[in-house]
Amino acid sequence: MASNHLTGIGSESKQLATWYFTFAAILFGAQLLFGLVAAIQYVMPGFLFEVLDFSVARMLHINALVVWMVFAMFGAVYWLLPDETGIETVGIKIGKLLYWIFVAAIAVVVLVYLFIQVGPADETSIWFIHEGREYIEAPRWADFGIVVVALGFVGNLFLTGIKGKQTGIVTVLMADMIAFAGLYLAGMFFTDNITVDQYWWWWVIHLWVEATWEVYVGSIAAYGLITMIGAHRKTVEMWLWIEVAMLFGSGILGLGHHYFWIGTPEYWWEIGALFSALEPLPLVAMFIHVLYDWGKTQGAEMNAEHTDEDNVRSVIKNKPAFTWFVLNAFGNFLGAGIWGFFHTLPQVNLYTHGTQFTSAHGHLAFFGAYATILVGMMYIAIQGTNGIKVMKHTKSSIWAVSMITGGVVGMTVALTIAGYVQVLVSRAQMGATWAGYFDGQSGMWFAQAMDWRLIMGAVTFIGFLLLVKDFLSTGKNPVHER
Amino acid sequence: MIDPAVIRPEIALDDFLPIFVSSALVLIFGGFYVGIYTAVKVKMLKKWMMPFAYLFWLLTCYCLYIMGSLMHVGDFTAKALVVAMIGYLLLPHAVYYMQDQVHQKNEH
Repeated sequence: MASNHLTGIGSESKQLATWYFTFAAILFGAQLLFGLVAAIQYVMPGFLFEVLDFSVARMLHINALVVWMVFAMFGAVYWLLPDETGIETVGIKIGKLLYWIFVAAIAVVVLVYLFIQVGPADETSIWFIHEGREYIEAPRWADFGIVVVALGFVGNLFLTGIKGKQTGIVTVLMADMIAFAGLYLAGMFFTDNITVDQYWWWWVIHLWVEATWEVYVGSIAAYGLITMIGAHRKTVEMWLWIEVAMLFGSGILGLGHHYFWIGTPEYWWEIGALFSALEPLPLVAMFIHVLYDWGKTQGAEMNAEHTDEDNVRSVIKNKPAFTWFVLNAFGNFLGAGIWGFFHTLPQVNLYTHGTQFTSAHGHLAFFGAYATILVGMMYIAIQGTNGIKVMKHTKSSIWAVSMITGGVVGMTVALTIAGYVQVLVSRAQMGATWAGYFDGQSGMWFAQAMDWRLIMGAVTFIGFLLLVKDFLSTGKNPVHER
Repeated sequence: MIDPAVIRPEIALDDFLPIFVSSALVLIFGGFYVGIYTAVKVKMLKKWMMPFAYLFWLLTCYCLYIMGSLMHVGDFTAKALVVAMIGYLLLPHAVYYMQDQVHQKNEH
């Protein structure tokens, strides 16, 4: 049974979406918690030593990040499918079964990370403990489970897309999710040559986050603009195709900027430099997209009501979600664009790679490009499941968005300062030597930057708690129009 | 074998900060260019603001030039950066034109 986005009640697909969002929110909290532990360990190196070492805390931090985002992405697709196709998701029962398999697999993997931590450094570790590949460290048995779940999800999406109405958003998602699931395979096999291993590993990491995930964000932004401000579908979908062309056009070979120093041929310098320089273009274009649709839709509303700017009714039907979507346009541009661009060319990347610059870019880009829009989708789902017509800001929602954004921006600035110290001391002055590595981290600027990163991490975590409070209290809050 | 001079362009210590600031400003000014251009076109800003959009594009080019010079980029990268700047100039025009045509066709 199809349902309208304002009334998620009655749709099994939307119910499944809320399950995905719920588990994603739990993992989001875990990500922040383990991030805090790792941040404390930079300031107090003895903290939880030999109980939860930095290597384990960091592994949990970054793997939880990827997994909560994948959960929220699947949830967002299950949420929008009935709206876009006009039918209930095909094979929803299998979808629900796969959800529980996915949750169980992740729970076991986290418990193994927490309590077993390291293995005997042979095939047993790869199969049952972890593979040691940053971001996608799940052991091989879990890898196969993830592939099965992803294929089931893609199957649900394709069968529904083929049977129901084929909108541009669903068509783009169908193509994108095939690539998303397929690319995971590149990170599953083992080779004892580190260059070859890294070469393929980057196919997963780069081609996920700078190609398929960005296209996914374009699709979700398109759905959000139609849902929240009533933007014109043909305009939005036409734009989506341009974004797809630009993102894949620049993003795929932008992969070259990861191949500068891992032992791959030097022609990657030129390829990486050219396509990395082009990569901010689609991010700028996404920014125009949101501004255009908002301006046009609000302008049409003003014309229809023959009124002026001060008295016109807002076209926004879900203010918290829209705030997160606008943050996404800015955050993507800032985190992926600016913080990516200023260390992407090989001449300067020689000095910056592997320093806290990378970490600063990673924090702001993952937050700006993905976390924002996925939290926005959670708000859309909350609006739907509670039958709210116009969802307004609450004190908690304003404090949550301000503290999370302020906290992440604060961490980014602190890490940028730390990275700058490393570039000057560890790389430029001391030539990337072992002594330079330690000298770069023992200076006052680096240490203070790490203190600030911890403080800002705590601010982010408090913001997250307020976000959860807002999620849980929306159903009973009388401020929203029903 | 790559020439060592190519691998280590030897950026002067004092040049790192201007490189990071100018490369950040490339996109910040670029964002202002695109933002003002689009906002004027959708009538969120007055028409007289449009020259400021192009002024920001010029600033973007200048910052990219500073960044490229201080980094000692090679010929190929320099050409790539020029292409990127022409892309930045044309992009909002092309995108706005296409969006507007679709908008006109479907709503009027």
